[in-house]
Order: sequence, then structure tokens, then C-alpha cells
Amino acid sequence: MLKKILFLTFGAVIILFYLSSSWFGWEFANSGRNSRFGMPFIYGGFRGGK
Amino acid sequence: MSVLQANCPSCAAPLRFKSGSTVVVVCPFCRSAVARNDRSVEDLGKVAEVAESESPLQIGLRGEFRSNNFELTGRAQLKHESGGFWDEWYATFSNGSTGWLAEAQGKFYLTFNKPLAENVSIPDFQTLVVGQTISDISAETSFVAAEKGTATYIAADGEIPYRLTPNEQNDYADLSGANRAFATIDYGTNPPLVYVGEEVSLEDLGLANRESAERKTRKVSAETLSCPNCGGALDLIAPDKTMRVTCPFCNSLLDANQGNLKFLQTLKASPADDFVLPIGAEGAFAGGEKNKIIGAMTRSVTIEGTKYFWHEYLLYNPRIGFRWLVQSDNHWNFVEPVNVADVAEGDKTATFNGKTFKIFQDAPARVEYVKGEFYWRVEVGETVRAVDYVNAPLMLSRESTAKEINWSLGTYLTVGEVETAFGVSNLPKPYNIAPNQPFTGGFYIKAGLAMLGLLCLIAVLMIPLGGLSSTVLLQEIVLQPTANASIAQTIFSQPFELKANRNVKITASAPVNNSFAEVDVDLINEQNNEVESVDIPIEYYAGVEDGESWSEGGRTSDVYISSLPAGNYTLRVEGTKENPLTALPVTVKVEQNVARGVNFWLSFFLLSILPLWALIRKMTFESRRWSESMFGGAVDD
Repeated sequence: MLKKILFLTFGAVIILFYLSSSWFGWEFANSGRNSRFGMPFIYGGFRGGK
Repeated sequence: MSVLQANCPSCAAPLRFKSGSTVVVVCPFCRSAVARNDRSVEDLGKVAEVAESESPLQIGLRGEFRSNNFELTGRAQLKHESGGFWDEWYATFSNGSTGWLAEAQGKFYLTFNKPLAENVSIPDFQTLVVGQTISDISAETSFVAAEKGTATYIAADGEIPYRLTPNEQNDYADLSGANRAFATIDYGTNPPLVYVGEEVSLEDLGLANRESAERKTRKVSAETLSCPNCGGALDLIAPDKTMRVTCPFCNSLLDANQGNLKFLQTLKASPADDFVLPIGAEGAFAGGEKNKIIGAMTRSVTIEGTKYFWHEYLLYNPRIGFRWLVQSDNHWNFVEPVNVADVAEGDKTATFNGKTFKIFQDAPARVEYVKGEFYWRVEVGETVRAVDYVNAPLMLSRESTAKEINWSLGTYLTVGEVETAFGVSNLPKPYNIAPNQPFTGGFYIKAGLAMLGLLCLIAVLMIPLGGLSSTVLLQEIVLQPTANASIAQTIFSQPFELKANRNVKITASAPVNNSFAEVDVDLINEQNNEVESVDIPIEYYAGVEDGESWSEGGRTSDVYISSLPAGNYTLRVEGTKENPLTALPVTVKVEQNVARGVNFWLSFFLLSILPLWALIRKMTFESRRWSESMFGGAVDD
């Protein structure tokens, strides 16, 4: 049961990330020098979303 | 049939024929079967006393079936040719009709005589084949011949509605129909008599809550039985049902006939006959009913010269009758009987309860060793044709001989479930894949597919929600000739506006030919001067080698970056080129909200890992399962 819960949690996180990236315009594969992973909260230039 | 009261011709005791349909009364004093006719009574001979059993029924018991009251007024006990006994109770209904309530192995069948129309013919006993369909008896259902045999009337009590002659033998056939329908053909008369009815429960008969219907243990003096070979005391668990029993002290196989034991043979156990559950152990299975192990046997099939063994435990519960617990390769199955007519058997499949089962094995199954008690005359070497069909976690099995066909349904149990049921631990771990072992990773496949579906749905929904892409800058800049290639030129673009929450795509194009240009682009936020930098290399090489043209790279290159805070931006373009002496025009384009599949496919890949792994495991699992089958799973669905 624990494995199933972990699997569902993992899937939910992936879907949530995809939904967020689509909504906020994030790119997982990013060419910006300041945002290698495309996560706005990782690179310094982010000033917030909607 | 005018004689309602008479004296027994044997002992002169007063007798009374309560029901108008009664033909024979068993004298309660001298056990004579007394038949009446128009003017007198006739002694048909002595009948034995009925063997006591754990039956909930008794003469005089009143019940109700479909709003008709009845009373049990007589009982006949018949002996199966394979050694077992069953009871037939004569039910006299308040509306004048009569019925037979047969009781065998914990089940009850209520049937009524059904005169057949003249144009209806039923197969005679010799030509009747077990498994044959007979559709003329009833308009409601077709019947399947489940068993044919010869019964001997060995005992009776009370009033009997036909001329019962002690020890008389009659051929009969039992038929099963859909929805618990049941019929019997009695070949003792010419033409044969047909009785049609159904399997009933005590609840159906209004007997479930009667004080007299409670199961009472009336064992056949179990404490007095002793082994005729070694004298060891035998305590039978189901003495009224037992036809064969083994002695735990000298390992003798004994024939049990109403408490009389007879030595048959000494059994030799091999290491394959070590049973992991003891005789007498009680286990609770689905429904919470406790079943006691009363017997255990080792059986085998021989396939391509190799003998495969498994163990079967006979379970007994007076309320529900007999069940089986099967242990094969340390996998377990709880097995229950199935109505013959409820199974539709095809060439390589069988259908039961809306499920289709694939054939797995078809081989003669042989009894190798027995221990404990059995309700039939089991013998070492007894062989039946056993056909198994699987639809995990279920297994549908047919065991048939020339005279009998039995279907059963096995449900796969984990070792943990068996340990819990019997309150034991450390049962041996299973090996190989059982024919009906369920694949446990199915959840990951189903849930994974559901999540992939959800991901696709979100992707589709985001197309209209996200809006269309837009070009916010399109400008050509020229990299002027320089003294050498290492000198960079810096050019600023026109200002443009970026909106928040939209990705940014920057494309650079230059007519390079067998050369490269390096374009470093800085996006400068005019409000706070924060900079986002990207490199855009452009290189294009082409030529002809060994008569074949080739090319690599391209004259256009692009990069993506995540959304930036909304505001006015300017591009600072710093360019270098391979050929410093010529000017190079570079077109720079900035777009926003450009659809790109990387996020989707990355998410898709991550979500696919576990379901894909589970799918591969399932294919391997099924491959291993069917590698054990005679049919290799090559059965079309």
C-alpha cells in the first residue's frame, strides 16, 4: 500500500509541475545562463508570477 | 388406497398412513416396510435404521416453500455406488402436492414429479452421457447430465410415497440447470420418472431459524472406533459422512461403513506426502465460516514423462459441506463446487459467471497418497480427467469420469492469507508462477495510464488557455568587418515589451556558409537592469566528398528561456564571426508563448517509467505462467 501511495504522489507531483510550467511559462530545458533548469525560483531574475 | 389405518403384518403394531399419497410406512417397532393396497397391507421386508447424521432435518419438521406449508413425513436413505450415502426426505404439502427434499454433502435439492408430455423423450440410462444437454424436460432451462449411477435403498423411516423395497437398486441420473435448477431421472420405472426442482437453502424452506433445524452433532459413536489393523483409537471428525479413513498410527487405509471399519491396505508415505497443515486444523475463509481439515491427499499428473505433485486438503463444515484447499508449488487455492450447468465449455475456453477462462491443463490426475477422512471411497491410483481453465485469480476445473462430472472454482490465496486463516506462520514460500496467480503490478499499469491520460488532457486544455504565440521583436543587425575574428561587436536592439508567465524564444539567423557566428544575447530589463543571458551559436558547413554532398549545422538557431517578469526589455547582442573581413547580417527574433513539447515529453517520460516497468514485468510474468501450460497460452481471446 505504501508503494502505491508513493507512486500516486510521484505522479501527482509530475502532473502538478507540468500544469504549473504550462501556466507560468516555465521551461524545464532552459538556455538561460541564470536559469539552467528553467525554474524561476532557482534563477535570480524572477520577480513573481501572476 | 383406502387403507389409512392398519396393523403391521409383521408385529401387529398399529400403523397409520397420514397422507393419501403414502404407499409405504416403515413400522417404528419392527422396521418392516409395510405397503398398502386397495384392501390390505403387505410386508415388503425389513429396512435398516437410518444412519444418524448431522442433518438439520427430521420427520415431523414443518416448513414453508413459496407460501406453501409442508411437513417432512418420510425419509429414505440411499447408498451411492461409490460408497456414499444421501438422504431423501418426503415432503407433504398443505395443498396436497408432494415433493422430495434430497440432502447430500450439505446441499438441499427440492424436486417435484413432473409428468412429461408424450412427445418428450429422454435418453435411456445406457445411452445417457455425462455432460450431455437435455433440453426437453423444462421450458425454463436446459439441463446438463452431471452424474449417472445406481442407488440402493438401504434404510427408510416414516411414510414413503412409492413402493420402497429394501435393498432395491435403481438407476438414476442427476441433472443440473442454470440458476440452481436441478432434476433427477429415476430409471426405476418404465417410462422413467422425472423430478424437477432446484437447489434450496434452509432459508428457502423456512427452516433456518427453527429450533429443530439447528445442526446437532450426533456422531456415530466416534469414541468407540478403533483401527482393525493396530487397535489405535480413531476419532472421526465427520463420522456420518466418512467412507474412507486412514489410521494415524499404522498408516492403514480403512473402509468406513456406518461405524464399521475394515482394513484395506497399508499406505507408504514419501517425502512428497508431508502435509504442512495438520488434520483437524480449522481455518476461516471468505464469509468467515470455519472449515476443518478432515483429510489430505497427494495427487499427481504426468506430463511428458514428468510427474508433478500437489496436495489437496479436504475441508468440512456441517453448514456448508465440503470445500478444498489446494497447495501446489506452495501456492494456495480455496476451491468451491460449481453448478455444472452454469459452466459453458468451449473448445479451449470455458465461461462461468460472465468470465471467460483459458484452458491451461488437460491431464489425468491420480491419487498418490491419502491421510484422514474422505466422503467417498478414495483409493490410491484413483484417476480422473482433470481440465483446468484460468482467469487469474480464479481457476475453473473440471474433473470427470464416465459417470460423473464435477466443476469447481478455485480462488488464489496468498501464503499470508492461509497463515492468517489457520493462525500459523512460516508456511513455505511459493515458487514458480501458479496458473491462476494474479499479477500484483496491475495497479501501476492502470494508475500510470490514468495519469498519462490526465497529462494529455491538461496539455490539450492548455492550448486554448495559454493563448497564441506572438512576436515581440524582429530586427536585423549587421556585424561589420573587423581586423580579426576575436573582436566582438556589441549592438543594442529596439526596446520591446515582454509579458509575464509566457516563455521566451529567441531566434538568430545569419547567411553563414562553411563558417560560424557566435551570438551572445543579453535580455536587459529596463526597469531594474537585471540581465538574462543566452548564447546562440550559428554554424553551417557543406561540401562534396567522394561524390556525395553533405552538410551540417544550420543558418538558423534558437533558444528558449523561462518566463521573465513583465516589462520593457532591450537586447544587447554581442557577435563574433569566423570570417572577420566580411559583413554579416544577423536577424534576431523574440517570441513569447511558443508551444514547445519538452515539458510535456519530459513529464510523459517520467510518468511512463513505472507503468512501463510494470508492463514489462507483467509480460514476463505471463510468459512464465504460460510456459508451464500444456497449451502455452495460445488461445485467442
